[in-house]
Amino acid sequence: MKKILAIVMMFVLVLSLAACGSDDTGGETNGTDSATEDASGTDESTDAVTDSGSAETKTITVWAWDPNFNIAIMEEAKAIYEAENEGVTIEIVDYAKGDVEQKLHTMLASGATNELPDIVLVEDYNSQKYLQSYPGSFLDLTGKIPHEDFASYKVELMTMDGSVYGVPFDSGVSGFFYRTDYLADAGYSAEDLENITWDEFIEIGETVYEETGHQMLATDPNDGGLMRVMLNGAGTWYFDENGQINIADNEALADSLRIYRDIVESPMTKITSGWGEWVGALNTGDVASITTGVWIMGSVKAEESQSGLWAVAPTPRLDVEGSVNASNLGGSSWYVLSESENPDVAVDFLNRVYTDVDFYQKILVERGAVGSYLPAASGEAYTEPDEFFDGQTVFADFSEWMDRIPPLNYGLYTYEADAAIMGVMPGVYAGESIEEALEMAEQQLSSQIN
Amino acid sequence: MKMIMKSKEFRRKLYYGGSFVLIAIILTSVFAIYPIINSLVLSTTSGKGVVTEFVGLGNVKRILVDDVFKQALKNTFIYFVFQVPIMLTLALLLATLLNDRKLIGKGFYRTAIFLPCVTSLVAYSILFKSMFSVDGIVNQTLLFIGLIDQPISWLRDAFWAKVTVILAITWRWTGYNMIFYLAGLQNISPSIYEAAEIDGASKVKQFFYITIPMLKPVILFTSIMSTIGTLQLFDEVVNLTGGGASSPSLQATITLTQYIYDLSFKYVPNFGYAATVSYVIVFFTAILAVMQFRVAGDDRG
Repeated sequence: MKKILAIVMMFVLVLSLAACGSDDTGGETNGTDSATEDASGTDESTDAVTDSGSAETKTITVWAWDPNFNIAIMEEAKAIYEAENEGVTIEIVDYAKGDVEQKLHTMLASGATNELPDIVLVEDYNSQKYLQSYPGSFLDLTGKIPHEDFASYKVELMTMDGSVYGVPFDSGVSGFFYRTDYLADAGYSAEDLENITWDEFIEIGETVYEETGHQMLATDPNDGGLMRVMLNGAGTWYFDENGQINIADNEALADSLRIYRDIVESPMTKITSGWGEWVGALNTGDVASITTGVWIMGSVKAEESQSGLWAVAPTPRLDVEGSVNASNLGGSSWYVLSESENPDVAVDFLNRVYTDVDFYQKILVERGAVGSYLPAASGEAYTEPDEFFDGQTVFADFSEWMDRIPPLNYGLYTYEADAAIMGVMPGVYAGESIEEALEMAEQQLSSQIN
Repeated sequence: MKMIMKSKEFRRKLYYGGSFVLIAIILTSVFAIYPIINSLVLSTTSGKGVVTEFVGLGNVKRILVDDVFKQALKNTFIYFVFQVPIMLTLALLLATLLNDRKLIGKGFYRTAIFLPCVTSLVAYSILFKSMFSVDGIVNQTLLFIGLIDQPISWLRDAFWAKVTVILAITWRWTGYNMIFYLAGLQNISPSIYEAAEIDGASKVKQFFYITIPMLKPVILFTSIMSTIGTLQLFDEVVNLTGGGASSPSLQATITLTQYIYDLSFKYVPNFGYAATVSYVIVFFTAILAVMQFRVAGDDRG
């Protein structure tokens, strides 16, 4: 009896160990195991769906991030297209941005392409990286989409060897979103915030903190997003137009490092780490402003109780020559994978919806999506007042600012440059000289670029 | 010897024995040995994604001047040097304390200390992240009792971020090592301690002259396992201080494995160079393991 019991127990334990998963190798584990484990758990849904690529129903899988913005917009597009095309089902999968990028790399590098989606969203800073690292993986859309009707800076960054590979989507035109009530309590009106420099922003922010007790903004000292807003508005980047590193002698960059240090050290700034905390600071009413791309609008509006209390001002600028009160952060585009089972349907879908002027009006009003489709800019929605922003015609403002954004070539190595700069920032925060920090960053970056 | 090799009996045993282990050998070769060799070959290439070229020792040359690599190496060694000894000492002390036959609630304490090991790495890292955030519970408690007057940036300050990572890892793995020591302690007969007691040795002396020498093989084992684990540290650092394909990695806490991840998924993917960095980890792990064997082995005379 005891023997039988022992054998049964053994089977149960062995089965439960096997079911537990494979990551415990007897000590601390190699973490990429669990990272990819989490991501592949959600693969099952796309698996089941792409299997049904029969003649009857064609299925298109789309991967994107941000449920309040990109996913919501794709859902709209899906509704439009499915209503007009009976035999097509569109499956939209929502991943975290980092997970989409990671999975894309893994699948494209390994050649295991059966799990890939048909359409994927790729951030503009990354598009050259994917196009040049995995040639042939993305469908050549030259001639299939009317690229001449889209903003040229977007089309440029998805072009390789003369062929255009994607459908431009949103512009990351930036704005200085602020709480009118907090700023008013500190004695500031909308006019005071027009066309200010970053130094003036810091002064205003400190006054707001003193007068109202609310911090002016939340930022992650390790995230270079705000720095990129400053750079883009000054018409400069980590690289010049020829792709050469432009760090050590970059006056605008040196100025942005100084401003960044002042912002992080000031008590008016709430230090956060990660997306969740950053957006949380807004939604809980902890901070009075956020200066970033227009795509944050979905997250700002997510807290309905704050409706009527927000407004948007032009982005502050650096005090260097050539700076404007307009900038860009992020922005992405849709790409079709070459391995797609139904590439024609995918292309037709993107063509039908993303060249539709009415669609752009809709997503503009609902999500704050400023598309880069030029004919759409003349639509009525662009002049409609938004009640969340107390009647301000925010979209007309964003379009105006989008026109002023200095066009730039981001190149391939934005993330490496970001890491190099953010790597020297702790030294700057501790009081090191900015010139030395930039020298170090330039040195580090040149060894990273192969 | 030759007679044994050629006998029918031996060949029959080899045939049956071999066929039992054949599956294991095939699986190990395909999933362990082949990737090891392949990544060595991979480390001689460099390029973008799948567009690569042969560079021979070019990657090794690059590693020697790579600042981020140096930082990652430094961080990984800081974790190793501080975390492993602290954790093992703590585990040993706890095991000794909980080995007391007369202790009430012994089972409860052992379970409670072991419980962290069965939690998911990502889940507990995220919890620690929210606990140690600037307005998280740790700062609030410390401010409340008056130990500090300004919240500490546990996750962003160069020094405190490392401390947080070490705290998290220690919390999780101490119980695991404690169980090994407890098992080892069961093998030490209580009569040895009684004899030492009679001879007038204090508890401290007993600990250093009886417990530790008799636990030597177990200590060696846990030490090597912890070394390997800490050198490969990834999960806690990424989930606590940020990292991943689209968020920036904190240079103050970046580890070698995290750098490999960045090279493959965040930057322009250079799988060959990433493979080279992973061989650096192998190299150091091997050296440290050999050193530890030597230190333990010498004492056995």
